[in-house]
Amino acid sequence: MKLNRIGIILIACALAAITLVVALLVVRQQDSQAAQVRIKGVGLVKSLSTVPMALLTDNGKSGGLLAALLAYHDNGDFAYATIGDASGRTLAEVAGRGSMTPTVALPAGAANGFGERTLPASDGAGALREFYGPLGDRSMGTLFVRVGFNQPGYTVLAQDVSFLAVLALAMFLVVPVVYLVIKREMRPLAALSTQLRTLAAPTRRDDGDSGDMRELIANMQTYLTQAGARIAQLEQGALNTTADNRLLQYGSKKLNAALQSLPDGLLMLDPAGDVTFASGKIEPLLGIPMDRIVGQPVDSWCCDPALRGLLARYSGDVRDTARSHAVGFAPTNVEGRQLHASAQPLSGGHGTMSFGTLVVVRDVTREHLARQAGNDFVAHVSHELKSPLNVIGMYAEMLADSDEESLRVESLNVIQDEIERMNALVGNLLNVSKLETGSMSPERNRVRLDDLLRDAYDQALPRAEGKQLRVLLDLPRELEAVAIDKDLFRIALNNLLTNAIKYNRPGGSVTLAARNEDNEIVISVRDTGIGIAPADQGRIFDKFYRVSESDAPVKRGGHGLGLYLAAQIVELHHGRVVLDSEPGVGSTFSIHLKIVSAPAGAAVL
Amino acid sequence: MSARRILLVDDEPHVLRVLRLALEREGYVVATAGDGHAALASMAEQLPDVLISDIQMDGMDGRTLCPLARATYPDHPFLILVMTSMTALDERAWARALANTEFLEKPLSPRQLVARLSRHFAALASTPGHPPEPVHAA
Repeated sequence: MKLNRIGIILIACALAAITLVVALLVVRQQDSQAAQVRIKGVGLVKSLSTVPMALLTDNGKSGGLLAALLAYHDNGDFAYATIGDASGRTLAEVAGRGSMTPTVALPAGAANGFGERTLPASDGAGALREFYGPLGDRSMGTLFVRVGFNQPGYTVLAQDVSFLAVLALAMFLVVPVVYLVIKREMRPLAALSTQLRTLAAPTRRDDGDSGDMRELIANMQTYLTQAGARIAQLEQGALNTTADNRLLQYGSKKLNAALQSLPDGLLMLDPAGDVTFASGKIEPLLGIPMDRIVGQPVDSWCCDPALRGLLARYSGDVRDTARSHAVGFAPTNVEGRQLHASAQPLSGGHGTMSFGTLVVVRDVTREHLARQAGNDFVAHVSHELKSPLNVIGMYAEMLADSDEESLRVESLNVIQDEIERMNALVGNLLNVSKLETGSMSPERNRVRLDDLLRDAYDQALPRAEGKQLRVLLDLPRELEAVAIDKDLFRIALNNLLTNAIKYNRPGGSVTLAARNEDNEIVISVRDTGIGIAPADQGRIFDKFYRVSESDAPVKRGGHGLGLYLAAQIVELHHGRVVLDSEPGVGSTFSIHLKIVSAPAGAAVL
Repeated sequence: MSARRILLVDDEPHVLRVLRLALEREGYVVATAGDGHAALASMAEQLPDVLISDIQMDGMDGRTLCPLARATYPDHPFLILVMTSMTALDERAWARALANTEFLEKPLSPRQLVARLSRHFAALASTPGHPPEPVHAA
């Protein structure tokens, strides 16, 4: 926008306004003068018409009323005053300076009343305004009085020139003010234009300060187009960001869910060592409400010295954040639990950033118990192994020291028994170990039970005879074949028979029997021994469980694995062991095995 | 002076039998018990000069028996020998807390036990304040 153009326009406008105002003023003044002239003329004619002729003209002497009228009205606009007849002949007259009385006849209806007319300019005289009327004094016939005034011309305005000039000057002086104001108002617009140009086409070099409104609008349009494009772009970006945000939120929620559903409890420490995150599992593990943990000082909630020590390693001045540490402890607030807490620094970006510390709290109660059970097991087994060794050592010493024949025989027998006991223990231990590690997988074949039972009977016979026991075998003529692992089953059977012999009475009997029963084959080992008290019956198949024999007259060596192993083996064959016992009368252990109908052509071993 | 009285407590009949033979041969009077309850019953009948007990026993075990025997007979500070195959140190702590109580390592040699007892009674005989008592000849 060019300011000097505005300036020119302003000046022109001012001039036009001045001209208009002056013209209006002039016209108005003329009108008012014309009105004055008329009032004067009409009034003059009316007053003169009533005056007697003699007074008007004073009979040719100077100093009549007309002369006085001339003297009174000598202000330039008064032209003349005449007394004449209708044809225009003049009887008496007075005339102003430079004015001539025109000899023009009056209009036809002049005698009827007062009138007025304009006489056009002629002979170098200006136009005249004439008022006329019939004279009341008819002594000299019908006469008319005529008064002429100069038509007000522009010359009469000369007196107002100074006022008009001052007015014009005042109006003209407004122009620079308006110009300055406009300029002032335009400055931001100009700046806006420049800015718009820069915004709209930053690369376009527009030399020359040729900005005007058109360019501003053009710039504005360009800018608006570009801004529209930008806004669309930004909206798209915002949409993308929202989508990204949702994705991030989803990912974050997923991660959080994963963290929450971890079986271990998680604690996250910020680099200052305060807990910023605790997963839901922490609460039941430590027995401390969540809201007491997060964002609270560690000392205020942590009542486990071991855990507090671990967390303290990652906070304060003595930070040891580079390495991971672990600690095991039993939580104070939760009974019977054993926890393992491991802390490791959380670092990203190849170790350059540290997010704090991650503490994983794991429930290791089961492992702890298993380890304890393992320790107990080792202690138990070593005790079980040492006991026969102890007895063997003592009897060996007695054997060396004693010459008595009966003692020597007894020693040798006991030593042999104890060796057998140790051997059985070691064998059973190995089997239990295999069973528990799952490496004992039964090779099930269809086996004729008759042979197996007969073998077991043959093996038990010599042991029983040494204790004055009878062993009976009771088999039906026909026995269904079953699918079992022969070697494993022999162990189970032997353990039952060994028990039956061991806990028997001299002169008693052991019966090994089998029978078909519905869909099962039942193999039973019946003894006439001391029986098992009802209180013990439920636990008799537990590992290492041995019936208390404190009041038994004769002690029998045992290790509490035989029945456990037998039951486990039968269970491995999907069978069950049933105990039927009466203290003082005897016990019957029955193995129930399902009969599996033989597939056609299956080999029977 | 009557013979020295020894109370053997163990749930292993073979151990009781061998130790009884070995000690009786030395002239001691030997009583045996299968667990703590039987031992307390035997003590109620007649107090021993020495109590020899196993730790692991069905019924009342040695760990319960020994402090109970001490508490029941505070005026009778007989020697208690505890037979154990446990080598764990915490198994010893409770016994250390008892006065006049010592350990016997398993496997236990009857000869060593006999020697240990004769040392004990010899020391007892030479201690002032105790009238010398005849030591049984081997």
